[in-house]
Amino acid sequence: MSQTSNLRAEFSAWMHANFCGEYECLRGRATPGDEDAFPGLRLKWEREMGAAGWIGVGWPKAYGGRDASLEDLVSFNEEYARHGGPGRAGHIGETLLAPTIIAYGTEAQKQKYLPGIKAGTEFWCQGYSEPNAGSDLSNIKTKARLENGRWIINGQKIWTSLAMDSDYIFVVARAEDGSVGRCGLVFLLVKLDQVGIDIRPIKQMSGTAEFNEVFFEGAMCDEADIIGGIGDGWKIAMALLGFERGASTLGQQMIFADEFRQIASLAKRNGMMQDPMIRQRIAKAYAGLKIMRFTALRTLEASQGGELSKEGYMSKIFWASWHRDLGELAMDVMGASAEILDDGEYNKLQKLFLFSRSDTIYGGTNQIQRNIIAERALGMPKEPRGGGIVIKG
Amino acid sequence: MAYPFTDEHEMIRMAARGFLQDWYDGGAGPERIYQSGKAYDSRAWAGFAGELGMAAIAIDEAYGGASLGDLGRVIVMEELGASLCSLPFLTTCGIVADLIDGIGTDEIKQDVLPKIAAGEMRAAYLDGHDAKDKRVYNTVYADCVDTIFLSRRAGDAIEVVSIPTEANGLIITPEKTMDPTRSFCAVDWSGVAPLDMTVIGKTTQIQLNEIVMRSFISLAAECVGGAQKCLDMTLEYAAQRVQFDRPIASFQAIKHRCADMFICIEAARSAVYAAALAAPDDKTEAALIAKAYAVDAYFKITGDAIQLHGGIGFTWEYPLHFFFKRARANRSMFGSAPRDYDRLATLIFEDVA
Ligand SMILES: Cc1cc2nc3c(=O)[nH]c(=O)nc-3n(C[C@H](O)[C@H](O)[C@H](O)COP(=O)(O)OP(=O)(O)OC[C@H]3O[C@@H](n4cnc5c(N)ncnc54)[C@H](O)[C@@H]3O)c2cc1C
Repeated sequence: MSQTSNLRAEFSAWMHANFCGEYECLRGRATPGDEDAFPGLRLKWEREMGAAGWIGVGWPKAYGGRDASLEDLVSFNEEYARHGGPGRAGHIGETLLAPTIIAYGTEAQKQKYLPGIKAGTEFWCQGYSEPNAGSDLSNIKTKARLENGRWIINGQKIWTSLAMDSDYIFVVARAEDGSVGRCGLVFLLVKLDQVGIDIRPIKQMSGTAEFNEVFFEGAMCDEADIIGGIGDGWKIAMALLGFERGASTLGQQMIFADEFRQIASLAKRNGMMQDPMIRQRIAKAYAGLKIMRFTALRTLEASQGGELSKEGYMSKIFWASWHRDLGELAMDVMGASAEILDDGEYNKLQKLFLFSRSDTIYGGTNQIQRNIIAERALGMPKEPRGGGIVIKG
Repeated sequence: MAYPFTDEHEMIRMAARGFLQDWYDGGAGPERIYQSGKAYDSRAWAGFAGELGMAAIAIDEAYGGASLGDLGRVIVMEELGASLCSLPFLTTCGIVADLIDGIGTDEIKQDVLPKIAAGEMRAAYLDGHDAKDKRVYNTVYADCVDTIFLSRRAGDAIEVVSIPTEANGLIITPEKTMDPTRSFCAVDWSGVAPLDMTVIGKTTQIQLNEIVMRSFISLAAECVGGAQKCLDMTLEYAAQRVQFDRPIASFQAIKHRCADMFICIEAARSAVYAAALAAPDDKTEAALIAKAYAVDAYFKITGDAIQLHGGIGFTWEYPLHFFFKRARANRSMFGSAPRDYDRLATLIFEDVA
């Protein structure tokens, strides 16, 4: 890709001048599952980014963005990773919800919600999954009904990442009684700080609690806080997931590359680089990194030409499996010391190992990714529902 | 057409595919070659390399070529792989053309490269560095070419010489191989008079490695082409084969295996295209990755394809076994994938602190 604009240089200079001093301790803290470190400082950093205009650079100018091209967005994400910028606390709002509001929201919604995201002061979480709606997301049971100009919400979401640190949640709920599957759903924008909402953290195998149960008992939002109409919930929910892929993948890969280098360097220092099996695995992990990068370029180039290329379907399962394997490799490179907790805490590689077990689950499990590839990229028959199998109990 | 290819590339691909799929003829082509006992089809070479102009693809324009570089070769090799049509393209238009381009004098370039571009010369490459008694086994295509290019030690340097295959005293003995569709030979040049050898140039071991490794990319592209063909055959078969009153393509175990085949092929494809586009400084590393990944992928895919076809996949009549055998043979071309990964590991550890 050619680099024609100066956004990369501008942003790089800004990072150099501002990502320092008190923020030093956040450097390189981009591994998922690491969000609990320095939470207050992370929020301050978001405001710093927002004040300087570095949140929403890809949005249209009318909403305070810079209308950055795909190439510029890639550069932006690469520079951020190159400077060791920490995991972005606001990414759900900035990269998932905001593009959805811009594409499908009303003018009033844009005025109401985009400024807080842009300023780095308002944080969002994603209320899709429920106890009985995981892979089978359309099996949503949370209910929403209109009453006196307000939506009243009852039900439960689960596995909601970062709900405890968020100001808002977007909720997919069932608005039409008796509707099933993808019909009758609504997509609502709901303030978390209200009496009808109870957030309970769930402790993860990584020891921390980034995800939560969110209970709705007569929770409310404005009648106008719906994106699309009644029955459009599924369409909007899927469109939002579509924004998940794209420019940020190359930034994510630089974080992976960093983790990889750390592991290779450890192997060099502790002598594991002599082990023939470790050498094979290190080399394969490196090959995987290069392959991810070129696959992303293929997909991005195609998307610029307005095409949806088939290889795009492999990106999630490929990186998730790669990252999980990297976690296993990290432990084997550490050898016996993999078991030891320094200061009673997991170190970076131990966190990587534990947290990467979730990479193959959230955002569509590996099995669901295979179904999607088989059906959409390869044109194989769709999975049957039910299938006449009797459910016991 | 998809990145990184242009419309021009796509036209070349279609021309190559048209020719080679006619030749392949649902497996009849490879079977005919097997029956002939000679793992090479001279008529196919004349048509493909000469009339269709494919031999010219990566040769410099100055010598009558199309200057399409590694990416051009990738297209040709993918299509050769999909058809199993074994032509000495990899050696003639790959290693040998690169050797001459890299170390030959102007005079030699002007003599040889236009002949290669026109499809008038077929060449094999022989690494004789450690040969005992001037004899080497497993030389690919030696019995289907007119010139052999031999690299050998000359003091601290490496010298490359050419030997016409009709030279007196040159003994080329085809070997019987598990993959019957591509020739391997033992070559004995102990009886060749020095006068029959033309010195092409001198080089270093490092430069020679770099030149030869460029053709790893072509080998990897052949693997991708063959693997894609096997997946296509599997998808077609799974859609029409019915068991338990439903197409087997509707079983999740089959779908998931096909999805994994797809992932594996696309990953290999990315590795190959990345290597073809890599800058000179990154070429060697990218070529290692492409070859190691693609030969592993090809072998796995051909095995999966046989499994998903059931009994018919195990028959001689059905062409899958030819792909399986080719994939197996590619695992030992230019050294094994584990050795490639080990070399890559060395490069990685040199690079990290
Ligand atoms: C760390 C983490 C963070 C998360 N954050 C959020 C969040 O912020 N917001 C949110 O809404 N959700 C979030 N999730 C939820 C996540 O999207 C779901 O866990 C996921 O979609 C799987 O659903 P499930 O847990 O109900 O598992 P299930 O769907 O019950 O799956 C159980 C097993 O069955 C397999 N399976 C299910 N259906 C099929 C099928 N058709 N074919 C083959 N196999 C199948 C699955 O692959 C899996 O192995 C998060 C999850 C994790 C782990």
